[in-house]
Amino acid sequence: MTAITVDRLHKTYLVPEREGGLRAAVGALVRRRRREVHAVTDVGFTIEPGEVVGFLGPNGAGKTTTLKMLSGLLHPTSGTATVLGHVPWERDRRYLGQMALIMGQRNQLQWDIPVLDSYKLNQAVFRIPDADFKARVEELSELLALEELLRKPVRNLSLGERMKCEIAGSLLHAPQVLFLDEPTIGLDVAMQRRIRSFVAEYNRRTGACVMLTSHYMADVEALCRRVIVIHHGRLLFDGALEELVHRFAGDKTINVELADEHPLDPAALGPLVDGHAVERSATGFSVRVPKAETPRVAARLLAGLPVSDLVIEEPPIESVIEQVFEATSAEVDGG
Amino acid sequence: MTGERLDADWTSGPRQAPGEGGLAGLVRHDLRILRTYLSLGVLNLVQYRSDFVLSVVNAVITLATQVLGLSVVFGQTTDLAGWGPYDLLVLIGVHFLIGGVLGLVVRPSMEAMMEGIRLGTFDFTLVKPADSQLLASVQVVRPQALVDVLVGLGVVVFGMTRVQASLSVVDVVLSLLTLLCGLVVVYSFILALSTMAFWFVRLDNVLAIFQSLFGEAGRWPVTIFPGWLRIVLTFAVPVAFAVTVPSEALTGRLTYTSALSAAGLALLFFAASRWFWFFALRRYTGASA
Ligand SMILES: Nc1ncnc2c1ncn2[C@@H]1O[C@H](COP(=O)(O)OP(=O)(O)OP(=O)(O)O)[C@@H](O)[C@H]1O
Ligand SMILES: [Mg+2]
Repeated sequence: MTAITVDRLHKTYLVPEREGGLRAAVGALVRRRRREVHAVTDVGFTIEPGEVVGFLGPNGAGKTTTLKMLSGLLHPTSGTATVLGHVPWERDRRYLGQMALIMGQRNQLQWDIPVLDSYKLNQAVFRIPDADFKARVEELSELLALEELLRKPVRNLSLGERMKCEIAGSLLHAPQVLFLDEPTIGLDVAMQRRIRSFVAEYNRRTGACVMLTSHYMADVEALCRRVIVIHHGRLLFDGALEELVHRFAGDKTINVELADEHPLDPAALGPLVDGHAVERSATGFSVRVPKAETPRVAARLLAGLPVSDLVIEEPPIESVIEQVFEATSAEVDGG
Repeated sequence: MTGERLDADWTSGPRQAPGEGGLAGLVRHDLRILRTYLSLGVLNLVQYRSDFVLSVVNAVITLATQVLGLSVVFGQTTDLAGWGPYDLLVLIGVHFLIGGVLGLVVRPSMEAMMEGIRLGTFDFTLVKPADSQLLASVQVVRPQALVDVLVGLGVVVFGMTRVQASLSVVDVVLSLLTLLCGLVVVYSFILALSTMAFWFVRLDNVLAIFQSLFGEAGRWPVTIFPGWLRIVLTFAVPVAFAVTVPSEALTGRLTYTSALSAAGLALLFFAASRWFWFFALRRYTGASA
């Protein structure tokens, strides 16, 4: 059985165009002027239980909107989805009891009461048995180092501390599906790493399926073998992370260090690198060549120049993603 | 991996998961939620010690002003549309009591809800496996308001010992029921007002307007107001049923008509506001970002 099935999902927001203020609001009731925003267009995919999937896209791509539909917050304009056998936006308590939505930009813990009290509220809402509740709180506070924090009111916590408490609080009911919307936003590198390895462990231990959005590729590389990429609300890619790099990064970079002060003659270098643009550095140069030609070009360089060091690099995933978005932006804008 | 391991039982679900156990299961779930929110809220009283002192001072001043007002009125007359001074004291007590209950949980929760709709944190109310209206209505408890509840109770009891009406058990039960109806009516009314925040994001003043109407007009029996205003206070801003009818019951002047209409109106208001709530939820799109 698949955990998540999404088919031809659309979400169009109707954004009222009006000035602020009650007067304008009342005016807008009479003559509605609205603009359509196509946040999600024809998106479809399936996710198996236990999978951790990276959900990528630039700002405004429709990631949060999709996650909100899957967690039952929004009704789609059209299309269908089932998660754990439920239609999310019917908001069946049996579904919501097995699901967690964590948003890095918003917190659900109550501001004025101690963290532990917020957890107790969740215990009542999710009907978590006392024994499980105690054991899980203990364990989470050990893993995420919450000991000191649980008795403080949320307003006295730092951003990172709050996020840890948020995450722990959202997992007390041991959800089978996890929607993480930028869970590491604004956190320092150590905290990001901690949360990452924690999510991996949670997935390993519970077999929960996880959909994660993040603008930090380190999160995605560490956690997700599979990525789904959307852009302008449309599905762009769905497959293995390496496959994404492979498909969209056509190039590799060859970095060459030269042995001595070699009078590098552009005219002579040209044929060696098949005429690709060369970037000079103090002690050598680098050149980007199509993947398939890398071995040949490297061999020619080694044979033709006094090379002291030669390194072939995959482009960083960030730049691949950037390339993907740029390419499709041009497509969309052009057509 | 940094050697982290999860060892607790992460695979067993609750004995009775949310949404299971039929109607009885739902009710039990709702009651547990209600109890947990209220008791935790009140337990956090210590955090608000200074607020608490302030609200005692505030309650004393308000009570003193109102009693002073009464004594001025009753310096001129002995009877206000059939209400004697101690009858009105009972009414002031009821007013305190209902204001206290509203201030304890309903109003702070509704304010938090409107804020949540604006900021997007209301999303988290909707993803919880519980009745969204219940969660939204009890999410914040302001324990200082207990002062008003206690003052109200005290004043009601004091007033009743001075009123000549002798109440039978039935009368007492009826009083409690009409009090409950009154609470339901005002709660539904505030809920409906707050629900409009789904359309108009900035609505902070609405509750303030209600509060001042309730605070000013609610301190007098609606029967002393001229006809048109009485109708407004009964149906448009249901202060009458919240305060006047229970006070009638407590002072032995309740008629069956007003008891029945209080019950009918409570049902009607509750059903209508709940319908409106779910109607609004279907349109909820959340805050972006
Ligand atoms: N509540 C809303 N009302 C109207 N328009 C919205 C709403 N929420 C999002 N949008 C619009 O829908 C589009 C998709 O937004 P969404 O929040 O899903 O993007 P995202 O992929 O999560 O972006 P980001 O990476 O910046 O979080 C955007 O153009 C946004 O302006
Ligand atoms: Mg987003």
